[in-house]
Order: sequence, then structure tokens, then C-alpha cells
Amino acid sequence: MQKTDLLDKLQEIVGKERVSTSAAELYCYSFDASQVRGMPEFVIRPVSTAQVADVVRLAWEKGIPVTARGAGTGLAGGSVPVEGGIVLDMSSMNRIIEMDLDNLQVVVEPGIVQEKLNLALEPYGFFFPPDPGSSAMCTLGGLIANNGSGMRSVKYGTTRNYVLGLEVVLADGTVINTGSKTIKSVAGYSLTDLFVGSEGTLGIVTKAILKVRALPRERSVLLASFENPELAGKAVVKVLSSGIVPSACEILDSNIIDAINTYDPKVGLPRAGAILMFEVDGTESAVREGISMIEDACSSLATGIRAATNKKEREEIWAARRLVGAAVSRLHPMRTRVYVGEDIGVPIKEIPRMLHKVSEISEEFDIPIMTYGHIGDGNLHTGMCIDVLDDKDWEKLNKAADKIHRTAISIGGTVTAEHGVGGARAEYLELELGKALDVMILIKKALDPKGILNPGKMGV
Amino acid sequence: MLESDMRSILKCVRCGTCRSVCPIFDVVGWESSSSRGRMLVAHGVSQGLEVDEGVLNSLNTCTTCGICEQLCPSGAAPPKVVENTRHQLVLQGKMTQAQKDIASRANELGNTLGETGERMAWLGESAKDVREKADYVYFAGCLGSYRYPELARRTFDILKRFGVTVLKDEVCCGSPLLRTGSDPMELVSRNLEQIRATGAHTIITGCAGCYTTLKNDYPGDLKVVHVSEFLADRLAEMDLKKLDLKVSYHDPCHLGRCNGVFDAPRNIITSICDLKEMKNIREKSRCCGAGGGVLKGYPELSQELAKRRVGDIPEGVDYLVTSCPLCRTNLKRGGPEVEVLDIIDLMEMAME
Repeated sequence: MQKTDLLDKLQEIVGKERVSTSAAELYCYSFDASQVRGMPEFVIRPVSTAQVADVVRLAWEKGIPVTARGAGTGLAGGSVPVEGGIVLDMSSMNRIIEMDLDNLQVVVEPGIVQEKLNLALEPYGFFFPPDPGSSAMCTLGGLIANNGSGMRSVKYGTTRNYVLGLEVVLADGTVINTGSKTIKSVAGYSLTDLFVGSEGTLGIVTKAILKVRALPRERSVLLASFENPELAGKAVVKVLSSGIVPSACEILDSNIIDAINTYDPKVGLPRAGAILMFEVDGTESAVREGISMIEDACSSLATGIRAATNKKEREEIWAARRLVGAAVSRLHPMRTRVYVGEDIGVPIKEIPRMLHKVSEISEEFDIPIMTYGHIGDGNLHTGMCIDVLDDKDWEKLNKAADKIHRTAISIGGTVTAEHGVGGARAEYLELELGKALDVMILIKKALDPKGILNPGKMGV
Repeated sequence: MLESDMRSILKCVRCGTCRSVCPIFDVVGWESSSSRGRMLVAHGVSQGLEVDEGVLNSLNTCTTCGICEQLCPSGAAPPKVVENTRHQLVLQGKMTQAQKDIASRANELGNTLGETGERMAWLGESAKDVREKADYVYFAGCLGSYRYPELARRTFDILKRFGVTVLKDEVCCGSPLLRTGSDPMELVSRNLEQIRATGAHTIITGCAGCYTTLKNDYPGDLKVVHVSEFLADRLAEMDLKKLDLKVSYHDPCHLGRCNGVFDAPRNIITSICDLKEMKNIREKSRCCGAGGGVLKGYPELSQELAKRRVGDIPEGVDYLVTSCPLCRTNLKRGGPEVEVLDIIDLMEMAME
């Protein structure tokens, strides 16, 4: 089929204004926040499940790749069309279809931004807990496709824990519904769980039933300073084994502390080798008790402990923490944060060992590595800033990232705890998953035998 | 491409923070209409991306409101990159009809509005109060001169008691040219020569566009103040009555976010009446949609932005006050339920 014929058909489905083949547009959609690149031939902004299904059916008939995209904030190239074809920009499908709060759930389209859902829920006293750093930008579709999580996952878990059901467009354009509005259902395989985290390689999510939670009555933040990240890692293990479940447990190393203080001087974090940021939420008495238990657990290892005094201070701390991944670019005029090797997860007991390994890797490749992340669930973000015009910097960066990935796997960890595999980490899946990857490939073949859905991703 | 712009682009990690706040993207919805998209397009152009209508629309739909730069965690400066890329393309003859019109009108007529009438006619009888020499010059601007002549005259009537004069042959400050990539130097020189001749050390303007241009693109020894700053410092001498009104205030981007003038207009308002703030204010104020050549080049898009900004007006206010005639013009196009006033209009009401 000629490209112009295809364009005509796509325009018939979604309307002329919702298809672009402009070079500028295609160029913009050839990126996300990772280093993966791929140029689409068409970008489409559908507004309904029917439009998505029709586009996918056409692509199925013609054997054209289809890559779904939310806000394009991904750090692994999940939404980058590495084999060209069609990009489906889902961000126009951004309605909250139903607020069924008596049933503690909402029904949403995938293009809604996480923060907008939470702003809509707040007046009713509810929230959707998965809280990535990109919550003001990322869409729920992206969160579902990557099983994203973030700062509160230590207590509240990942997106998967909140998805009750999905409407999914399959590779041939068939629309199915998985799960249900019931809290529990064991009717059949958990297809919902299969699609969550499948990065658009098995189907395209067009609707989701999500669980929400009542907002906690009280939240309190505690900052504990340490001489170095390893001591902080030990404190985390101690806190978590003491029986308290903080609603957030973040580590910031000294460079990250500088980056936060540079980005927002109001936050004024204390100087230290590392800081642990704990948040406890719940009833007033539970929060008080939790904070006191954390203080006790940290006291023998920390050099200082400080509580955020009010809501404003707490919110400023979290706002700055959310954006620190990019804010580290401010530390040096010629250097930019590059997201590679940035999302490892290890068993929590191995955190101090992994932190030690990261500092060894930093020395071995002579590249500063800043560490921050959701240490409470063993998820460390290792941040490297380079002069992106310097080829030698790139070489060091890629070698260090490779070693970080391999080291994490070797101690029983994962190459990606929440950002996704995409095109950036596909090469490690065989090493991490072994024969389980073969099963993934079988599933992919069963659901997408022509391989049109987000090809070139996840090692399938 | 300038090295500083390339560095700014390379600072961008494409996190999408700007995309979530860009008021143009909020309306258009295509990635190329977001700040992140424009940074990519500017980069693409430097790498050989062909300059077609899509590229020009991407770059020219930016109002240069600066909220992206304000919130960018990496420290990138998209409005500067946009303006400089527009300039590079204009030098190559690649521009929209609106850009051409803005530049040719400003250079031929001394204003961007296509007006051929006597610019200083707004002075009316106050022409007799224009002095050859003064410490302060009131710069009325194109919109003040031609669209709001009464406002310009009343502003001057308030200011003249403080030893303020005007330029006899004022021309456009150059802001629309700078924003849209053209060279403003001829206009700058004409104004500057006259400013020097008055011996003034300070220029006073009531327009956010003139303010940012006079402050940042004219010689640094000239002090530039907004009329609200000038008068906020002289409230004790103004004998303003209290009014039983409640008003809201729109921060012009090029006055507030880009130059930090937030408090002076608020101080004037609260000395006269009650202030009930809009939904997004100060550094996070939402653009009215007029700046950066967007009102001229993309009037419908500009109007849609104005409508959304009008949606930020709180319930129960008598007026929306602003301190820029371009914002005022566009906010009116946004169809507010209340009248949009200049801050001078409010002061006049308190002086009656």
C-alpha cells in the first residue's frame, strides 16, 4: 500500500487534524527521555477506543508497527518507534470516565496525567498511590504499561496493585476487557497482570479500572543524615526490620543533596554524605509512633535527625525530590544528566553491598555516579552526568551503566525496578530472566504473531 | 546556532516538565507545540531538519511566556532558544507572513499595528507639558499610543507631576521584532537617541513587552521601571481613596515571571481595594496568549489561551486588573464576565 493511501485511510479513521506526517512532528516523536531513537512515519492522536481499534486493525492488515505513547517521559525508549510505523499518542484520551468512590475505584482513559487524577480525587479525600517523580507529567497509560511506581511504593506497592481491570485493543484490533470491578476475582488467568508492565508489546490499553485509597489523615517527614550512603543503607534495613512501614523511604547522596538545594534553595537540606528521607502516614498516633520508631532505629548510625515542621516544608521537600533526576544537570554548566543504567533494584539486604559496588564502579570508570532513589524497596537510581558532546564521556558512561546492570543481576537484583525495559535494557533480559524470556517470547507470538505492537522492545 | 543555545538544548533531558505547563501545548496537543518539542525542533534544524511549515509553526507558536524556563529542573532556557532560532531562520529568509508583517510595519511606520496617524496625538492638551529635559521618560508604547490613547494620556497626567516627560518622536521599542526574530536595532537607536537627549536616567513604561525590552535589550545604564513600580513608591503622595471593590490581578509574563515585578501592582491594588487572586499567579501565572507574536500570527490559538486564562478569574470580583495593554487586549478577547482594567484605570477611579 502506498503511503498516501495509508494516510487517507488513517485520516478517514481519526480525521485529518489528528494525523501528522510533518517532519517536525515526526522528529519530536522520535524521542522520549531515554537515549533510544526511532522515526515514525505517522503520528496519530486518537480520541476513542473505536479509533484505536480501527487504526490497529489497519496496521495489522498491512503489517505496520504501532507504538503507543503517553507523555513521552519514559526513560527506556518504551514509546520510541524503533521500527518506524505509527505512533499512537494516547494523551487526548484523558477523561476520568467514572468516579466510583463508594467502591474505592475510578475508571479512566489512559492519557490522563497522574497528578490530574489525584487533583480530581483530593476533594473527595482519596488518592491514587503510585507516585513517580514524573507524576506531574506522566500519563496513567504509561504507568500501567511500565508498571511504574515511585516514592510511595515501599508502603503502597506498584501500579499493578491498583489495576482491577483493563480495556485492551489487541494486535488484530479486537477489543477485550480483563478483570472486573470486583476487588477479588479468580476467573481465569490474570490477563490484567499480563498487560500491566507489557509496555505496549501485547496490546494497547484504552481504559482502566483503578483502585484508589482514602487519603491518610496525617503525614510526617523525617530526614536522617549519614556519613556515607552505605551507613544509610544499613539504617534502612534496620528500620524496615523494626516493624514500621514508612510511606516513603528515599536516599539522597551528597551530590543529590547539592542538586536539590541548587534547584530549590528553600528546601535547605543539611550537608551530609547521605540523607534518608522517611515519610510516615496514617492516623495521628500511628504517625507519631512511626516517626519515633524510625528515630530509634537510625539513632546509632545517623549523624543528625530532623523532622519537617509543617506541610509546606514537607511539600517543598517532595517537590524538589521529584525533579532531582533532571536537576542534577544544574550542578555543572557543561554536563547533562543521561538516563542509562539508572533503575536497578536489589533485595533490600543487599542495598549496602550494591551501594559499595556503585562507588567501586564510579572509581573504575572514573565517572561520578550520584545515587538516589526508593531505597526502601531496594530501587536505586544511579545518576551520571556527562558532557554530551564528548565521545569519551559517552564511552565511560555506557561501560559504567553496563557494569551496574550486570552487578545488580549478579547479586539477585533487576536491571529495572520501575522505569521499564523498552529498547534500553532489552539486551539484559536473557541474563536476568533465563528461560523465562522464552516464555515471554511465546506469549508475544501468541498475542501478536505479526509482531506489529511496539516491536524491538523488551527482548521479545 | 549559538553555542549557548546548543548548551541549553543539551541541558534538556526531555523530562516533560515544560510539556505539562506549556499553555500552547495545552491547547494544541501536538508534541511540536510544547516547549520540549520546540527544543527538539530547534536542535533538529541545527542538524539539518528541513525548515517547512511544521518547523515554523512549532517555533512561532511560542508566546515566550517563560513558564517552561521557570520550572525546568535542568536549567534549560527554551524561550531564548526559540527567539534565537527564529532569528537565525529570519536571517535565512525563512519566516511566516506574520513575522514579515511585524518587521516591515515596525521599520516602515514605527509601530507594529499598521497605524499611519500621528503617534503622539494621544497627548492632546497635555502636549504643552512635554519637557525637553527630565530625569524620567514615560514610554507609551505602540498599544498605548494607538489603542489606548486615553490611558496613555491619563498615565502621563499622573506622572508629569513627578518630573516625567515623553519622547517627541517615540517609535516601537523593538519588542515585537526581538520576540519574532527580526533585528530591532534601527528602532532601538531612534528611541535611544531621544532618551539620551532628554538626559533622563529612568524610563517608565506601562507595557510588559516594552518593559522587558527596554530593560534587557537597551543599554544597561538606563534604569527601567514599570509605571506600577514608580507609583507604588509614591502612594503616600497620591491621595488615593479606598474603594469598595474586589478585583483580581493578572501577572503579565514579561513583567512578572521574566522580570520579577509581582509586588508593586499588588501593593497599589491593596492600597485601594480588596485583591482576590487568580488561580495561577506570580511565577506560575498562566499566559494570556498574546506574546511572542502569537496574537498576530495565530489569532485563534491566542484567543483560546485567553479563554483559558479567563477561566482562572475567581468568582465574586468586580474587575480583572492587569498592567500590560497587550494582555488586556487579549484577555478581553477571552470573553471575561468582568471588565478588564489597566492598573492606571483603577488608580484613576481611586483619585476621582
